[in-house]
Amino acid sequence: MASQARRGGVSLPERRSSNNEQNSIIARVSQSPIVVRGRQAASDAGFVAKKLLKSTGKAAWIAGTTFLVLVVPLIIEMDREQQMNDLELQQASILGSSPPK
Amino acid sequence: MSGVAPPPPNTATATAFPAPPKKTEDEKVNYLDLPCPIPYEEIHREALMSLKPELFEGMRFDFTKGLNQRFSLSHSVFMGPTEVPSQSSETIKIPTAHYEFGANFLDPKLMLVGRMMTDGRLNARVRCDLTENLMLKANAQLTNEPHMSHGIFNFDYKGKDYRSQFQIGNGALLGANYIQSVTRNLSLGGEIFWAGQHRKSGIGYALRYNTDKMVATGQVASTGMVALSYVQKVSEKVSLASDFMYNYMSRDVTASVGYDYILRQCRLRGRIDSSGSVAAFLEERLNMGLNFILSAEIDHKKKDYKFGFGLAVGE
Repeated sequence: MASQARRGGVSLPERRSSNNEQNSIIARVSQSPIVVRGRQAASDAGFVAKKLLKSTGKAAWIAGTTFLVLVVPLIIEMDREQQMNDLELQQASILGSSPPK
Repeated sequence: MSGVAPPPPNTATATAFPAPPKKTEDEKVNYLDLPCPIPYEEIHREALMSLKPELFEGMRFDFTKGLNQRFSLSHSVFMGPTEVPSQSSETIKIPTAHYEFGANFLDPKLMLVGRMMTDGRLNARVRCDLTENLMLKANAQLTNEPHMSHGIFNFDYKGKDYRSQFQIGNGALLGANYIQSVTRNLSLGGEIFWAGQHRKSGIGYALRYNTDKMVATGQVASTGMVALSYVQKVSEKVSLASDFMYNYMSRDVTASVGYDYILRQCRLRGRIDSSGSVAAFLEERLNMGLNFILSAEIDHKKKDYKFGFGLAVGE
């Protein structure tokens, strides 16, 4: 994947070098191997980062919706159950040792 | 569990400890006094209960009114999209609404249930104890489309430690199955069927191992189906279930894992399966005889999201 992207990136500076042959400093600097390499690396990094962000976003979305469906109702219901148990315990302690019913 | 296969070591240790001989004695008696197994068609009962709730999409309202002790009427309304089978991979849904009228007669010896839908479908079920051990079950499904009506009769014979069933249905369907308790926990069964209309026949075997904490079942059939399930009861309220289904002919495999919480006010079932679909089903008891139902199913792969809510009054 990365090598393909690099190959695609190489073709751009080559075409530019064939088009304008003037030896200005900016052109020379921009065509120097370090800058070309750097630009490629930056574009590769950007590409990978974008893909990574997209896939993590998707994974987070799936995980989030799964959580929402599977776990959130469970938490709510467990909490309710706990509350009810507590209430019952409280009532039992207020009424004393005799059973409420 | 392990005490059945190697009895000699148990009796050898029996001299040292007073407790083990009683246990082996118990198990010796058990072979003549085994519990009755559950019917062959219901061996996956626990796993199905936990993993396959009646998920739906849309709105439903069920109302049951008891006229007297044995007779009750039911009305139910359903509105929402229903899936239409199609050749393409994406599902096609068309909005539908229907009303269903039902009449039930429930008696310990005789059960009659009828359901009539507005689109002309009629479903009738009969369950009748002919004698102490012999039971007749009949099921009929009538539609106004030709060749879509079905009828089936089952004769169940319940023995002391076995059950057998004979099936006869329309379309020259014949079937028989038998299940026998082998030890206190283990039962083995087999079935044979012949569908004359489709010129198909097959045999199948099943195994079920249950203790009061867990249930494990396995079933194979000559149609290529292999089904395994396992249910573990974690506590009185919580059970975890998993199942595995493999079809040798079509080579498709599905496995799913789920939980089943039975709390005082509600029952919550959740499931996730290997095809990536996540489902949850919540039945909340709002009041005596008033249940609120929420159903959710998400399938990210197919981009199919189903949500439904319902109300059940009566019962």
